Amino acid sequence: MKPIAPVAVLAAAYLLVPLLLGGNAYLMTLLVSALIIAGIALAWALLGNLGGMVSFGHAAFFGVGAYTSALLSMQAGLPVLLAIPLGGLGAALAAVAVLPALRLSGPYFALAILAYAHIFRILATELKSLTGGSAGILGIPGLPTLGGLELGSRNGQYLLVLTVVLAFIALYRAIWRSDYGLALRAMHDSEDATRVVGVNSTLLKAAMLFVSAFMTGTIGALNAHVINFLDPDYAFSGAWTIVPIAAAIFGGYRTLGGPLLGAIAVYLLDQLLFKALFPSGHQIILGVLLGAMILLSPNGLLPWISRRLQRRPATEVRHAAA
Amino acid sequence: MLQLDNIAVRFGGLNVLTDVNFAMETGEVVGLVGPNGAGKTTLFNVISGLVRPVSGRVVFDGRDMLRAPLYQRARAGLGRTFQIPQPMHELTVRENLRVAQRFGRGRVDEARIDEILDFLKLRPKAQADAASGLALSELKALEVGKALATEPKLLLLDEVLAGLETHGKRLFMQTLLALRERFGIGILIIEHDIETISNLCQRVCVLDFGKVIADGTPQAVFEDPQVIKSYTGGAAHA
Amino acid sequence: MTELILQSLYSGLLVGGAYALIALGLALVFGTMKIINLAHGELVLLAAYVAYTAESQFGLNPLASIPFALVIVCASAVLVYLLVSRIRVNRELNSLILTFGLGIILTNAVLIVWSANIRSTSSAWLQDAVVLGPLFSMRSEVVFFVLSLALAGGLWWWLSRSWYGRAVRAVSSNRDAAKLMGIDPVRTELVSFVVAGVLASVAGVAIYSSSVIQPALGHALTIKAFIITVLAGIGSMPGVLLGAVLLGVTESLTVTLASSALQELAGMVLFLLVLFVMPNGLFGGARRRG
Repeated sequence: MKPIAPVAVLAAAYLLVPLLLGGNAYLMTLLVSALIIAGIALAWALLGNLGGMVSFGHAAFFGVGAYTSALLSMQAGLPVLLAIPLGGLGAALAAVAVLPALRLSGPYFALAILAYAHIFRILATELKSLTGGSAGILGIPGLPTLGGLELGSRNGQYLLVLTVVLAFIALYRAIWRSDYGLALRAMHDSEDATRVVGVNSTLLKAAMLFVSAFMTGTIGALNAHVINFLDPDYAFSGAWTIVPIAAAIFGGYRTLGGPLLGAIAVYLLDQLLFKALFPSGHQIILGVLLGAMILLSPNGLLPWISRRLQRRPATEVRHAAA
Repeated sequence: MLQLDNIAVRFGGLNVLTDVNFAMETGEVVGLVGPNGAGKTTLFNVISGLVRPVSGRVVFDGRDMLRAPLYQRARAGLGRTFQIPQPMHELTVRENLRVAQRFGRGRVDEARIDEILDFLKLRPKAQADAASGLALSELKALEVGKALATEPKLLLLDEVLAGLETHGKRLFMQTLLALRERFGIGILIIEHDIETISNLCQRVCVLDFGKVIADGTPQAVFEDPQVIKSYTGGAAHA
Repeated sequence: MTELILQSLYSGLLVGGAYALIALGLALVFGTMKIINLAHGELVLLAAYVAYTAESQFGLNPLASIPFALVIVCASAVLVYLLVSRIRVNRELNSLILTFGLGIILTNAVLIVWSANIRSTSSAWLQDAVVLGPLFSMRSEVVFFVLSLALAGGLWWWLSRSWYGRAVRAVSSNRDAAKLMGIDPVRTELVSFVVAGVLASVAGVAIYSSSVIQPALGHALTIKAFIITVLAGIGSMPGVLLGAVLLGVTESLTVTLASSALQELAGMVLFLLVLFVMPNGLFGGARRRG
């Protein structure tokens, strides 16, 4: 039974969803956006879970990735599929500026990175000759057609973003299971204990920051070529931080699947339900969700559900999640 | 092997260590004793890199270590245990040793991990959660195990016997003695129990108020009147 | 040019008063609980909107609305405390996320109740010009600057003289030792939240009276307050006052010499600069060690 479940889920995601829902353009657009959120949530959770750092500034990496890819494809004429990972690299490069913040403890790091998000937004607004300023960039090239598959179509966008998010989950899983992952997990509650056995904890944390920034930047780049438009307020919007955090916390940021499931649940609820309830301040429910999860089930819904369903000992759940 | 020159450490206005000079040969087993607050653990922290002295030199294996971060010292062959065991949370006992081996020694050798587990009688607990699944004596053994897994040339043991009952103490003593025989590594051990020190060490160094007040064979040191006065008094005659 | 610079130094000094009140509240809570309340700026925002409602609905002068703001904001602060104090595990991380969530709730509640429109006072008396030699300001700026100074002075007196004030200081420097001395840390934490609420109330009304308000302001104020505590260094009250004035002056000089679009950037750059060059703050002494 067990090995079949992931295959079934994958088959459903790759075949059933496009076949059944592919005709509904609105729903597919929502799903693509939910997957974009999932990608950021996953990157955020990786930094939190393996690096032990809370970031309130992932919008910085998202925006830098988006602008890098858009400009590379439009002004340097690079193919879109090459520009997108370069967008991720651009975000990782931007993370170099954040490196000094690694010395800082919890709240200081969280807010220093928020400061970077603001700085990048203001730079994008002020560097008019490069970014078009607050007017933004229009007509960003869409996704190309690859081997007969129209990536720019609704279904194509969905399949590409899904594949990238799943690839990121696989990367996250590989790091988690490696010896580096072991050391990173140990660093949470026992940093000195890991350092005295030879672990260069600062280097490992920096590596997680780069991986997280690369993932977020790549997702930002993908999104730019999906919606074909950018301006500073959109690209560096606080929503790119708030919604993924709510998603990761809701699903369980210390699990591999939590951010993805959380993102789909939270984003769809937000767009389909909360927006109808509170047209202007619908994020209020995300705030309530965040608060409630932290107080009632800080490890998120996924561990909570699996505990309820299977009543396994806690350690086993953790390993099952790995 | 290890050489400390004129080490001084100050916390706030307090002199915790003053002008400490100390040296160890390869494979030597030395006891570090002294009353509470004498600066023993601080000296360990200076050697392993948790505390940076205001002055002095730390030379290990011919290399100046004063500015080397913790992880580099561990990789150079300095292993240490903590008085209050610090297992790596979220990891099993085996994973603890694996991380220590992978990062402290550079490569993983499962057979070697098994050997250490057997040696410390931790084999039955190999899959146990290190932070929650071990008794105190096992936690102490794991402290030693993590340090051993890094393949140290010098092992710093901070009161690994404290808190164990008599039987556990005896077992652990045997383990430590075997450690010296089997792995041929140098040991610097902080310990209050004079019998233990006398059995284990060829040499004892006494710290008091942050200064070295005696250094020599256990017999000579524990009969030194100054040591008797500052140390546990009557206990020296036991 | 000199006049322009003098004028912006003066304006920066005046706005520094309200900034100081906000930062003092944030620092007080950090002192007793070791958490950063990311919803603190939203409490200030709430006070500002209470003043707006009192003025637009009931014709009250903003100064007269302070008592109402006190009640509502302090009650909200207590609510924040009650929620935060329920966190048991991983407090540093979880309290950040929780208060971040509470900030989102408050910002959006303000958005739902008062809409996204920009509001400012209509009181002519408060907006009258006050001339001090070559320097100009609105009456509200001077009134609230004096009020802020008085409040900061009162806080200083309270912290150094009253029993609760000393308890707050004791808990901030060593929680366990304070417990042994018979100080109830829970009550002390609660008191620090209420005092932070009082400071936030006055600061909120001050900002409404001298400037414009909109729902996104709360978040920006939290960041400003945090920047000031970083400039000040932990546990330095004169440092907070100087840090507040420094931020105010930096912002107003940036507006005068460069452009208003860069105002926020100036604060952030100052913040990062201090954080990386002098991690203990401009005015914080050497960190105490055990």
